[in-house]
Amino acid sequence: MIFKNALVASVSVAALAASTFSVSAQTDLAALYEAAKTEGQLTTIALPHDWCGYGAVIEGFKAKYPGITINELNPDAGSADEIEAIKANKGNTGPQAPDVIDVGLSFGPSAKAEGLIQPYKVSTWDSIPDSAKDAEGYWYGDYYGVLSFLVNTDLVSKVPTSWADLKAADYANAVALAGDPRAANQAIQGVYGAGLSTGATDAKAAAEAGLAYFAELNKAGNFVPVIGKAASTAQGTTPIVVAWDYNALAWRDGFAGNPKAEVVVPSDSVVAGVYIQAISAFAPHPNAAKLWMEYLYSDEGQLGWLAGYCHPIRFNDLAAKGSIPQALLGKLPPAEAYAKAVFPSLDEQAAAKEVITGQWDATVGANVQ
Amino acid sequence: MKSGKLWSWIIFGLGAGYFLLPLLATFEFSLRIRREGYTFDAYASVFSDGRFQASFSYSLIVGVCAIIVGLLIVVPAAYYVRLRAPHLRPIIEFITLLPLIIPAIILVFGYIRMYNTSSPLPLLGTNLGTDILLTLAYVALALPYMYRAVDTGLRTIDVQTLTEAANILGANQATIIAQVIFPNIIVAVLSGAFLTLAIVIGEFTIASLLNRQVFGVYMQNVGANRAFEPAALAVISFVITWGAMGMIQLLARFAPKTARRD
Amino acid sequence: MTNVSSVADPSAGPVSTGPAVRVGGNPFRFISRLRLGDIIAIAPFIIFALLFLLIPTLGLVVGAFQDGSGNFTLQNIIDLGTPQILASFWISIRVSAASAILGAGIGLVIALAIIRGRLPQAIRSTVMTFSGVASNFAGIPLAFAFLATLGRLGLVTVLLKFVGFDLYKSGFNLLSFWGLTITYLYFQIPLMILIIAPAIDGLKKEWGEAAATLGATNGQFWRYIGLPVLWPNLLGTLSLLFANAFGAIATAYALTGSSLNIVPILLYAQIRGDVLHNPGLGAALALGMIVITAFANIIYLVIRTRAERWLK
Repeated sequence: MIFKNALVASVSVAALAASTFSVSAQTDLAALYEAAKTEGQLTTIALPHDWCGYGAVIEGFKAKYPGITINELNPDAGSADEIEAIKANKGNTGPQAPDVIDVGLSFGPSAKAEGLIQPYKVSTWDSIPDSAKDAEGYWYGDYYGVLSFLVNTDLVSKVPTSWADLKAADYANAVALAGDPRAANQAIQGVYGAGLSTGATDAKAAAEAGLAYFAELNKAGNFVPVIGKAASTAQGTTPIVVAWDYNALAWRDGFAGNPKAEVVVPSDSVVAGVYIQAISAFAPHPNAAKLWMEYLYSDEGQLGWLAGYCHPIRFNDLAAKGSIPQALLGKLPPAEAYAKAVFPSLDEQAAAKEVITGQWDATVGANVQ
Repeated sequence: MKSGKLWSWIIFGLGAGYFLLPLLATFEFSLRIRREGYTFDAYASVFSDGRFQASFSYSLIVGVCAIIVGLLIVVPAAYYVRLRAPHLRPIIEFITLLPLIIPAIILVFGYIRMYNTSSPLPLLGTNLGTDILLTLAYVALALPYMYRAVDTGLRTIDVQTLTEAANILGANQATIIAQVIFPNIIVAVLSGAFLTLAIVIGEFTIASLLNRQVFGVYMQNVGANRAFEPAALAVISFVITWGAMGMIQLLARFAPKTARRD
Repeated sequence: MTNVSSVADPSAGPVSTGPAVRVGGNPFRFISRLRLGDIIAIAPFIIFALLFLLIPTLGLVVGAFQDGSGNFTLQNIIDLGTPQILASFWISIRVSAASAILGAGIGLVIALAIIRGRLPQAIRSTVMTFSGVASNFAGIPLAFAFLATLGRLGLVTVLLKFVGFDLYKSGFNLLSFWGLTITYLYFQIPLMILIIAPAIDGLKKEWGEAAATLGATNGQFWRYIGLPVLWPNLLGTLSLLFANAFGAIATAYALTGSSLNIVPILLYAQIRGDVLHNPGLGAALALGMIVITAFANIIYLVIRTRAERWLK
C-alpha cells in the first residue's frame, strides 16, 4: 500500500533535487572512489547473478570502478542468512563479513533496531520514495516485483492461474517455494501471498492461513520440499515454483525454449515485495560499501536492475526524466498485474515474518518420507 | 558348481547395470540442451564459463598445496613411527582415521568457531588465512589416504638399512628423509597425491562454509541455476576422477615389487 | 590378516578398514628415549592433529554445554528434543543404516562373485578400478547423475514411461528415503568392495579345500570359517559406511537445497543462517552427530575385540 501513492506521485521535485545535488556528489564520488580503492575490496552476500540482473550490475560496477575486487559470499543465502552473517562476524574484519546486504523490506527495521546496519544517504536519496526508506538513512528500498508462478509447460499441461488452482490433483508433487521459508524473504512472502488468497486481511491471520495452505498442499502431496530454482524447474523436480516475477522471467529466459515455460501472476492475490539495501554496521570496507550504494542508485545501476526485470525504486524518477530505453520498457512484465498488487506494510510484514519463520517447521514441516 | 559361475555372472551383470546406467543417463541428459536434438552445447557452455576456469584452477592449486603440506606432515611422522616407535603405530593410525569418522561439517564448524577473528589464531580474518585454513582442512580430509599411501611405500623399502647406510655416510635425519627415503617411496606418494586430488577437486561442504569459490561450490551453483550443464559437469568430474584413479593404476605398475612384508 | 590395504597395489583399494586399535605395550615408554630429531619428525603431525582435528571437535563438544555467555548449561541438549530435530536424526540414522547395510551386503556379494566366482581376472581388475573411481564419485556430481537418471525427466523415468510405467505416479520420488538410499549406494557399494576384497583374498584357498576334504558343505564353510574370518572386517566397514553416509551433505544438498530435513543439512543451514533461532543449538546438533558416529565405532571396536578373541 505504501507504494501505490509513490508510483503515481509526481517526481519532478525529486528530480530537481537530484540535479542540484549532483555537482557536490560528483566531487564526493571521486574522493569516495579513492577511499574505496584503498580498501580494495567489497564483500557482498546473497546476490545470485540471474537475480535482478545482478550479474551485469556487478560487472558494471567493476568496469566503472576498477581496483576494487568483489568478494561474493553465498549467493543462495536468504535474508535471514544475511542478517546472521552480519551478527556472526561482529568484530571480524575478514572476508567472511559482508559489507552490504540486500534483504526483504521487513528485515530492515529489525536490523536497525539490533544495531546491525549503519546509515548512509546516497546522492540520489531524494528520488527514493519516502515510504520505501528509513528517514535516518539506515536502509533504503532498492527494487520490487510481484509474486508469480514459473510453470514448466512441458510437464504441466494445464497452467494454474491462481493459488486455489495449485491444490488440484493435477499438480501432485509439483509445487515448490523458491527458498527456505525459515530464512528466505521470497519464500516467506510466498506463504503470505497464499494466505492472502484465502481472503484473510489481517497480517497475522494471513500468515497463519498461508501456513495452513501449505500444510494442506503438503498433505495432498502437491508440495515439493525442494528449494525451487531454474534447474529444478527445468529438470522437472519442481515443475511449478512460486517466485518473484523478475526471477521467474530471468529463469525462463535462461531455459532458451528448452523446456518451454510460462510465468503467471496468480489471479487471487498479487503480493508485491520490496527489497532494501543497507550497509553493515561492522562493514570492513565502509567506503567501498558507500561507493557500491552510489552505483546501485545511479541511473546506470537502476537500469541494470530494470534489465533484470526488476522495478528499480527510482523507476518513476527515471521514467519522468525519460531515461529508460524503450527496449527495456517493452520487456517488462505486464502492468495490469502491478495495478492489483498489494504492498504489505512494514508492520504487516514483520508480523507475518514472525509467524511464518517461527511456525513453519511445526505447521508444515515437510520431511523426506 | 556350474551354477556358481552363472550366479557370479548374474551378480556382476546386475552390479554393472546399476553402476553404468546413471553414467549413461547423465551423458544422455547432458546432450539434451537443445530441443532439436543432441548437441554438445552444454559442454561448450561450461568450458566457456569464466567461473568454471577460475574455480577449477583454484581447487587445483589448493589441492596441490594440500598434497605438499600433507607430505611434509605425514612423511616424517610415518618414517619415525616405522623406524623408532612401532609401538606408537596404533595411536598414529587411529588419528589418521579420525577424518573418516568425524564428518567434514563437524570439522569446519569447529574451525569456524576456533579460528574467527576474536581467536588467538584468526585465520578467518584475511583471504589468505582462509585459503590456508581451507588447505589445512583438505590436508585433514586426505590424511587417512595420504598416511596409508606413504606407510605402504615405506613398507616396501628397508627403512632401517637405508637409514643406517645413510648415517654411516654422514647424512643427518632431514637429509635422509628428503634424499634417501622420499625418492624411494615417490610412487606410493604419488598414488596418495592423486587420491587427494580426486577428493579435493569436488569438495563442497568445507569450502562453501568457508566461502571459498572452489569447483564443488561452482558445481552446486550451476546445479541450482542451469538445467543441462550440471549433467555435463558430472560427466567432466567423472572423467577427472577416472583420470586420477587411472594415474594411480599406472603408477602401481612402477611400484617396487620387492615388497618386504611385515 | 592385515588391515592396511595398499594404495599402490592394484588389487587392493585405497581405503583401509576401520580404526585398528591394538595398543601393544606402554605407548609412553618412548618419552624417556626421545631425541631432538625424533621430536622434529613427529611434531608437525601431532600439532596438526591437535589444531585441526582434535581441538576443533572437542571445542564443539564443550560448546554444546555452554550458554551464550559461556556458562554451563544443559539447555542446548534439552532443546534437541523438538519433533523436527528428532525427526531429522531419525531419518538420517535410517538412511545411513540402510545404505550401510545394503551397501555392505551388496558389496560383499559382488566382491565374492568377482574374486571367488571364477570370473576372468580382467573383470576383477576392472571392477576394482571402477570401485576406486565410484567411491570417490560422491557429492555434487552424484546428485546430478541421479537427477539425470531417476529425476522427473531422467533417462530411466522417461524409458519406463515409454513402456507404460509412470515411476512418479507410482509414488517414487528421488527425494525420499529410498531415493536417497539408492543414490548413496553408488558410493557405498564400491567402498565396501574396495575394503573387503583384500580380506576375501585372505581367505586361503586351502581352507576351503581342507573343509571340503573334511566333508563340509559350501554353506558350512561360510558358516564356520568364511564369515567368522570376515566378520570383524564386515563390521568395521559397516561402521565406516554408516559414518560416511551420516556425514554426507553435498549429494543431498545438491538434490534439494537446504530444506531437506536430515541432520547434516540441518546443521549446515544452522551454521549458515541460524534457522533454528538458537545459536547454541548448532554445537548441540554437532555433538549429537559426533555421539552417533562415535557410538557406531565403539560398537565396532567392542565386537571386533571379541571377534579377535574367538579367532585366537
